[in-house]
Amino acid sequence: MPSPSPSRVLITGVSNPLGAEVARRLATRVPWLFGCDLNDPVSALEEMDFVHADTRLSVIGKLVRRLKIDTVVHLAVMVDSPRGERATHETNVIGTMNVLAGCAGPSSPVRRLVVKSSQAIYGARPEYPSLLSEETAGMHPAGSLVTRDLVELEQLAHDFAVRNPACRVARMRLGYRISRTTALGRYLSQPLIPSFLGFDPRLQLLHEDDAAEAIALAALGEQEGPFNVAGAGVVLLSQAVAIMGAQSLPVLLPASQWISRFAIRSSTGVNLPGHLLDLLLHGSVMDCSRLKAAFDWTPAYSTREVMDGFAHGQTEELIEAPSPPQEYELQVYLQRRRRGERNTMARHVLPAPR
Amino acid sequence: MSIYAETPKQRRSKSTEAKLIVPPEARGFGLQRRFRRLQRKGPIYALTGISNLSERLREMTGREVIDMDRVMGVMQFLYRQQQLAKRGVDYAVDEFGFDPEWTESLLPLFEVLYRDYWRIETTGIENVPATGRGLLVANHAGVLPWDGTMIKTSIFVTHPRPRHVRALVASLFMGMPMLSWFLRRTGQTVGHPDDTRRLLERDQLVLVFPEGVRGTGKLYADRYKLRRFGRGGFVSTAIRAGAPIIPVSVVGSEEIYPMVGDVSSVARAFGLPYFPVTPFWPLLGPLGLIPLPSKWRIQFHPAVHTEEYPPEAAEDQNLVMSLSDRVRDTIQQGIYDNLKLRRGAFV
Repeated sequence: MPSPSPSRVLITGVSNPLGAEVARRLATRVPWLFGCDLNDPVSALEEMDFVHADTRLSVIGKLVRRLKIDTVVHLAVMVDSPRGERATHETNVIGTMNVLAGCAGPSSPVRRLVVKSSQAIYGARPEYPSLLSEETAGMHPAGSLVTRDLVELEQLAHDFAVRNPACRVARMRLGYRISRTTALGRYLSQPLIPSFLGFDPRLQLLHEDDAAEAIALAALGEQEGPFNVAGAGVVLLSQAVAIMGAQSLPVLLPASQWISRFAIRSSTGVNLPGHLLDLLLHGSVMDCSRLKAAFDWTPAYSTREVMDGFAHGQTEELIEAPSPPQEYELQVYLQRRRRGERNTMARHVLPAPR
Repeated sequence: MSIYAETPKQRRSKSTEAKLIVPPEARGFGLQRRFRRLQRKGPIYALTGISNLSERLREMTGREVIDMDRVMGVMQFLYRQQQLAKRGVDYAVDEFGFDPEWTESLLPLFEVLYRDYWRIETTGIENVPATGRGLLVANHAGVLPWDGTMIKTSIFVTHPRPRHVRALVASLFMGMPMLSWFLRRTGQTVGHPDDTRRLLERDQLVLVFPEGVRGTGKLYADRYKLRRFGRGGFVSTAIRAGAPIIPVSVVGSEEIYPMVGDVSSVARAFGLPYFPVTPFWPLLGPLGLIPLPSKWRIQFHPAVHTEEYPPEAAEDQNLVMSLSDRVRDTIQQGIYDNLKLRRGAFV
């Protein structure tokens, strides 16, 4: 039974950069777009109606029924938060529970649900297969709080899908993204990067544009279940450090992760969550063949291109967040243009790995 | 106030006089330039010097003292390492972390061990497919997994079409510093059925030791007695992937570290599967890590064609166990045959 294409879309967590980008992409493709978040949106889209709503409270149910929402894009999931891991639990698990509860029931008009998840759901351990496929998540006891939260979150979404066969649920496991706002990006931006002695993990990255495009495609599509989304190929941490023009300092010991974490935080000022520390130790690579088969789409940027683009964009200036909306839009447009130019340049200068 | 209207810099740029500008490094005694020339020409000077010395020695003693081929090999190895260092970040590893170029550059080191140290004789290399997938199954022995490196080297050295072998390693080693980096970089991966399947689907040669650490951690008294072959997981993976199984018998790996004891309390403290005691370890410290120069033989047996079975046969535990036993018997028989062919453990 193919459901009609989405007409009324609600995006939760629209004020984070990914949410804003998804909203921008969906604005032209769907007739009605609504967004909700705790904070004000960073960009004012004319096509989008904005509601102040906290996903941790049970307001989503009312919102969904009043507005006759048929597609919910749940992006109010924090994986890489400057706040503590315990604070994110509330948003990730309780928030998702409320959103799912709001979308459940016979009176609910929701026919499509897209949940943002992350590569962090797998964690990183030496005994894991080199390429992680979708079904291997949550098979082992979780190493970090974020991983545990994500496993619980996806379990909730899966249970919801089983109980509500009328609603199709897609869980998008987005790969690690590097920008100045993510912990991994800030960690790699240091001139002297402390790393684990004797370990050279494989990193797999996802471009911001590809992440938003994957979410938008999932919102418009019919696909169900979990999907790994990440750029093709891998980059070793030593390569990443060299691409960034930094110097790595292999000093940390794998046995004492608390000390390592303290050392990284005190020397570079970056607070790395536990799952990223595991990533820097053992690396993690996902198998994205399911995404390609179901969506007939693959991320435009390979891991290497993301890394090169980030290294070239180091000199890029930050956009002041509280600026007038038109000004902001202009700045975003100019920055995207510049980024595009740089990326095509990077692609010509450096050979794309295959 | 200057009498000129222009600054000194502007005057210099407009000047029509030709000036000889001496580069800074040529001043003094020209040490830096000489050093650079030495750096550039050093290898050639060294080579001519060694070849002159070799000639002189040959005239004096009447026989070859310095093997010039060896010297050239060492020079080539050093040159290759230098070239690899120059590639910077412009290289790509596959999803498993394998860097073929780097691995090939290290092969001369392992070739020395293969040819001169363990004097390995390889038979049945024609049973290894030149193209396409294949699962090599071998016996595992010798406290450290030198047998894996030697099987890899033997295929690269003796096979008419040199291929890389991707060995499966216990996850324990993938969590160790340095070792995890080296193993991944040289093409090894975790012994997980998913990884085996993926590598076979990419038409790679995969090497598996079904005995695992039970094989490497056995005492010298139990040498050449095969341990249990797990639950035959390698057979079902091969059937699913439609890959032929090639049994491999390795003789000689048991004698490199004659393990006389196992201190399990120390092993437990360090989270290791065993803590070996050999006549030289831990008595002589790092010297005890040097493997003994035993005489090795490696035999590749004719393939067991699992691709004849449909993929559903992988669920048939009876078939899987009988195939696993067949492979095990072939390897055990091969070990006995090669032990008879070997004159002694160290000659």
